Amino acid sequence: MLQKSLRISYLEGTEKPTDALLIIEKALNDMSKAADWPISLTMRANLILEELVLNTLTYGSVGGLTGIDIELQFQDNKLSVQIIDDGAEFNPLVDAPIPDTNLPLQDRAIGGLGVFLVKTMSQDLAYKRENNRNHLQFNVVSES
Amino acid sequence: MEFSHDRSDEILVINASGRVDGSNASDFLDTLQGLFEPGDQQIILDLGGLEYISSAGLRVLLMAAQNLDKDNKSFSICSLTDSVSDVFRISGFDQIIKVFPTVDAAKQG
Repeated sequence: MLQKSLRISYLEGTEKPTDALLIIEKALNDMSKAADWPISLTMRANLILEELVLNTLTYGSVGGLTGIDIELQFQDNKLSVQIIDDGAEFNPLVDAPIPDTNLPLQDRAIGGLGVFLVKTMSQDLAYKRENNRNHLQFNVVSES
Repeated sequence: MEFSHDRSDEILVINASGRVDGSNASDFLDTLQGLFEPGDQQIILDLGGLEYISSAGLRVLLMAAQNLDKDNKSFSICSLTDSVSDVFRISGFDQIIKVFPTVDAAKQG
């Protein structure tokens, strides 16, 4: 089994989330090389983590966010992810708008698309609020 | 990200490669908008070298597509990698933006 633990600290006033995204990209690239992941698994895992972490850095900060802890475990062609943060309560399963992906071009809005991609690309997504922290757990597998 | 472009016969072809995410999406938008000229009738975005796109990058493509559509310009995307194509399909962007396998196919419309 391949494991990695990441800590993304919230720094007030940081204009661009470059550091957080680099931490995610590097960890996934390291695991991808070590276990010879298909490109689609690396891409999906990266996208899901980016959307969730940027959401938390953007909206979680109102709740006194200090950081985000990410646990990654890869076994049997499946990446299991656990994300814990101490920001504002946010359950992506119910708190994000659901975009209508069938609307014509001029009626399309981008709101909610990130979380929609997360929900579509992940498996067994589960949320709980415990000890003033958001706990998210899900799995990512290669595109079938 | 890296960019190059070619303009001939009122057709602008832009090549964008690398990664577009939440850290550089605003630069992506600025670059695209800086390249558009009033005389361009057809704009083709060649994403053959794009390895990664998140919703931040999709937001840029949606804004560009909506603005060019309002101006009655033709806008299409071509040469998507499998990973980016996956994101396009799930988000329904392949239904609102014309996608072609090659630049030549995009020029034919």
